[in-house]
Amino acid sequence: MFFLKMAFKNLTRHKRRTLITALIIAFAILIYIMTEGLMIGMTEMSFNNIINLESGHLQVAKKSYWEDRKELPLDNLISPTEELENKIEKTTGFKAMTKRLNFSVRLNNGIDELPVTGVGIDLGQDRKVFRLNKYLVKGRMPREGSSEIIMGTKLAELMGFKNGDYAILLFRTDEDTFNTIDGEIVGLFNTPHPSLNESSVFLPLSTAQSRLNVEDKISHYAIRLTEQDQAIPAAEELNSRLKDPYHAYSWKDAAQSLVTMLEMQEIETQVILAIILTLAAVGIINTVILSALERMEELGMMKALGMHEREIVYTFMLEAAGIGIIGGSMGIIMGVIGLAIFNINGIDMSALTAGGDMTYGFPLKGTIYAGWELNSFIFVFLYGVFISILASVFPALWAARKDPVKAIYHR
Amino acid sequence: MSLIKLRGLEKTYQQGKIAVPALRGIDLEVESGEFTTIFGPSGSGKTTLLNMIGCLDKSTAGEIIFDEHSINDLNSKELAEVRRYNLGFIFQSYNLIPVLTAFENVEFAIRLIEKHSKKERRERVMSLLEEVGLGEMADRRPNELSGGQKQRVAIARALIKEPKLVLADEPTANLDSETSKEVLELMEEMNSELNTTFIFSTHDPQVMDYARRLIEIKDGKITNDQRRD
Repeated sequence: MFFLKMAFKNLTRHKRRTLITALIIAFAILIYIMTEGLMIGMTEMSFNNIINLESGHLQVAKKSYWEDRKELPLDNLISPTEELENKIEKTTGFKAMTKRLNFSVRLNNGIDELPVTGVGIDLGQDRKVFRLNKYLVKGRMPREGSSEIIMGTKLAELMGFKNGDYAILLFRTDEDTFNTIDGEIVGLFNTPHPSLNESSVFLPLSTAQSRLNVEDKISHYAIRLTEQDQAIPAAEELNSRLKDPYHAYSWKDAAQSLVTMLEMQEIETQVILAIILTLAAVGIINTVILSALERMEELGMMKALGMHEREIVYTFMLEAAGIGIIGGSMGIIMGVIGLAIFNINGIDMSALTAGGDMTYGFPLKGTIYAGWELNSFIFVFLYGVFISILASVFPALWAARKDPVKAIYHR
Repeated sequence: MSLIKLRGLEKTYQQGKIAVPALRGIDLEVESGEFTTIFGPSGSGKTTLLNMIGCLDKSTAGEIIFDEHSINDLNSKELAEVRRYNLGFIFQSYNLIPVLTAFENVEFAIRLIEKHSKKERRERVMSLLEEVGLGEMADRRPNELSGGQKQRVAIARALIKEPKLVLADEPTANLDSETSKEVLELMEEMNSELNTTFIFSTHDPQVMDYARRLIEIKDGKITNDQRRD
């Protein structure tokens, strides 16, 4: 306790120096908290977009379809049965399910052609699983059995379409023959999921099935649960009931590449923190060395009084811990303020991407709000204190090992 | 009984390729309770001798026996233990910790030996500060004290753990003659009251007047050793 009190008092010797060193740590922590906050915000928003617009919480598909799903095949589709749907409905936390049929389409405006994804949706059920209808900015959803389609404003803009226009959808059927749909654009949507806005066309499931000659077949079931966190155990539970070739996949399986990318981003954030705190550690080392040089005669006296090296090192480490605690606290406070500002105003992604929808691979657009985790705050605070203490060890040892005579008569 | 015995003590400093002898065969015995001055011109080896006796430095040759134990073969940690429990130091420039109060500066020394309760510690520190005339100034920091008051705090710090020996290197060098007198009287008083052995170096004749034993050192050798009643 006495050493703690002495360490605290020593910090007041050069208040400005203590403050500047603590500020370096504070800024490192602030940068980490803001980066982490942005990452959490982007992650939550990206996952929500995937769940609400692309995958639902769970998908049930044939394993062989799932492996090739990015190629939008018409092989290995599911023929819906009551038995299969009953099994799905028994899943813990089940809320709703819908059927979707994805297929490869060439969208034609009479002049240009663009490859996009056609999505046949069960209009009665789709809104119970997905939120697409909430992002309609013009028009309405297609009618059942019609050739009406909806698409993203970005895609419409790219192809020169407006609401009410007709677009030609050119595709291969199950028999490998070409077929078309002269689709009337009855609605335009603008979701926070850029790739959906740029490359998907939605139409009634029955229309898609009849034009593709796939009878009542679908690509997959999409399922909504009451809680997002239930997805992985629910998929496991459902898989215990499903028989081959059917398999349930959680939204994380559907967003595997994004999950991997986010894990890499997390490592990057940690590396940034490590680099910044290493720089802060240089500041701590500098402070401890300066402090030791200024107090050399005192150190000599301490050694003359019989203080052991480890006790001297301990005193310096306590001081460094004090700087770490001050810097850490300041960093947390600054971080909380930064996150609060971030959360009130948000960050407009279009401002970062010069008005475009380029999102560095993240399925999101619009305004991002930061997220936060208490564990991150605790981690970064403790990490800051730890680095401060660690940085003080070697200069403290250097000071503690000074010859007592040289230290006493140091000038 | 001899508290300190020095036998053929030598100390040579190496400055590059040149060997500079500081002590050249010192033989000395100091009894418990003595009030001794080591005097001599600058560079004569006074401080080096004090450092040897104070277990701060190691000799090149010869033997040091402290309280009937040879300290020649002790490592730095063991020497620190000897200093911690047996020795008190008073420095020319006081070497007080500026961020601590007079009370805390004295308390610091007793903290290291950890054999007193908080209450006991407080009482001992206050009683000693009162004895050195600083009872009213216990809460003052060194920058709020005069040179003489600072040296009184340093004396209290040296005595608080009841050491067998107090070593003072030119304790009055930074003080005016009146304050020097007060400090020396205080040291003499403590020596009589507590029977603590004092050895101090000086080249000030006023200081020598107080000593009961005068040891003169020149060129690293004792040239005169006389006791006074």
